[in-house]
Amino acid sequence: MTDIIRTRLLGKSYGAADTVSGVNMSVKRGEIYGFLGPNGTGKSTVMKMLLGLVRPTGGEIELFGERLHDGSIEHLKRIGHMIETPVFYEKLTAEQNLELHAEYMGYYNKRSIREALDLVQLLGVEGKPVRQFSLGMMQRLGIARAISTRPELLLLDEPINGLDPEGIQVMRNLFRRLRDEWGVALLISSHLLSEIEQVADTIGVIQGGRLIREVSMDDVRESTAAYVEIVTTDSVHAAFVLSERLGIANFKQVGERTIRIYDSMLTPEQLSKALIVNEVPIHSINRRHHTLEEYFFNMIKGGEGHAASHQAGA
Amino acid sequence: MLHLIKLELKKGRFSAYVWGALIAYALIAAFMATLYLTEGTASEEPAFRNYEEMLRGIDTIVRATFIVYAAVLLAKLVVNEFKDKTISLLFAYPVSRKKIILAKLSMVFGWTFANVLLANAVVGGLLIAINARLGHMSDPLTAQILYEHGIFVLMQAFGAAGTCLLPLVIGLRKKSVATTVVSSILIVIIVCSNNGGFNLSSVVAVPVSLGLLGILGTFMSFRNIDRVDVG
Repeated sequence: MTDIIRTRLLGKSYGAADTVSGVNMSVKRGEIYGFLGPNGTGKSTVMKMLLGLVRPTGGEIELFGERLHDGSIEHLKRIGHMIETPVFYEKLTAEQNLELHAEYMGYYNKRSIREALDLVQLLGVEGKPVRQFSLGMMQRLGIARAISTRPELLLLDEPINGLDPEGIQVMRNLFRRLRDEWGVALLISSHLLSEIEQVADTIGVIQGGRLIREVSMDDVRESTAAYVEIVTTDSVHAAFVLSERLGIANFKQVGERTIRIYDSMLTPEQLSKALIVNEVPIHSINRRHHTLEEYFFNMIKGGEGHAASHQAGA
Repeated sequence: MLHLIKLELKKGRFSAYVWGALIAYALIAAFMATLYLTEGTASEEPAFRNYEEMLRGIDTIVRATFIVYAAVLLAKLVVNEFKDKTISLLFAYPVSRKKIILAKLSMVFGWTFANVLLANAVVGGLLIAINARLGHMSDPLTAQILYEHGIFVLMQAFGAAGTCLLPLVIGLRKKSVATTVVSSILIVIIVCSNNGGFNLSSVVAVPVSLGLLGILGTFMSFRNIDRVDVG
């Protein structure tokens, strides 16, 4: 049993509107799962369903190998979470908030509170009332609270929001450490690919309440297609030469001066030689990869197309 | 359950509430003493003619005070948790939601019950002591009067402790502190107002059934709490 989270056809609808539907997701022990999607596409709702804060209207959830029911609470001991903007008892100090949390979680270890505060670099302000904290500090404290009870699963909703670049770096390192040293499974949502592609092992893309795809980052890196990009001042002539003289069919004009050639047998050197011989003015020629942004953007656009045709068919 | 109550006490500075209660005692005592001295049996239209009337007067004011006081506590303990969304924190703990709510409600129930009893005893005792010196009321203070009044206060305290939960049923719908407190004041106006020496709660059945209604109402509003979406 390596799946810590597994959902089958998980859905939530309010009235007639589906907020989340048909989500099949699986998160393994010791992996960082990036939950990627634009704002308002149901990421938080899925996380709240995992925590039992929102009751699913369809499908099922399995956590740590056991199916959730109404009122099941035992599994909550093993989960740390920060959903949306973290809330605190603001009159209490940071430390008191964490102590209270530990008491409710039934986790008694004074040292782990200081350790958590240290990991998010909040030591020194633990005696201040949370009311006086900035947004970024609250965000750190929320993460400290989530990890202070040594959970096996962490649900973090947009954890990097409101952090400065240095804080972001600290958090990224922390996430990797939690995964590598404690074997924690992390489900981290974000609406920005750049925020999670560096830490995630798997990425689940959610769009319009549907989990469009679940891919491992290794696969993503492999399948981001390579191409040769030519920048020329005469793209019309270049296109003509490519298709008529060199017999290349699979290329695309991107912008006014740029042409991309996919799966050509020719190397950039051979290409440049052939183009120069045919009097195509070349500004630059490079071998490139699809950026991850493009990869996921295409995936999301594909998802929309799929959803549209699905609706049309219905 | 005791552990949960202890944790609730950790969240807020409840010593402030104890001081508040003591100040309320003092104000009630001062008010009743003033009544006793200025509108006592010596005046043409006395506020109370005998011990029974005096003690019942005290009881009415005490209940009115602590029903409103309870609404403030409920607002802090329950309504604010929903309003500030800290409830989404509480409900994600490995603790039954019903137990969390029950801990909060039983705190308010117990607090109100105890304060109604204690305030009656303290202020009643004080006025009896004053009367022993000044003797405005000349009827004998029999054990019978005290015993009957004791039972009466006990029933009233139970009634008040239940009734004080009713504003929560209304206030929680709107997640509003103001609604909670205002509805408690409305309840007090209806139940405790004095119309020519008669008020609704002088018939013991009325406050006791209101108390039961308060308990039933809160039970109904939290019956499905396990299935409710939060946040």
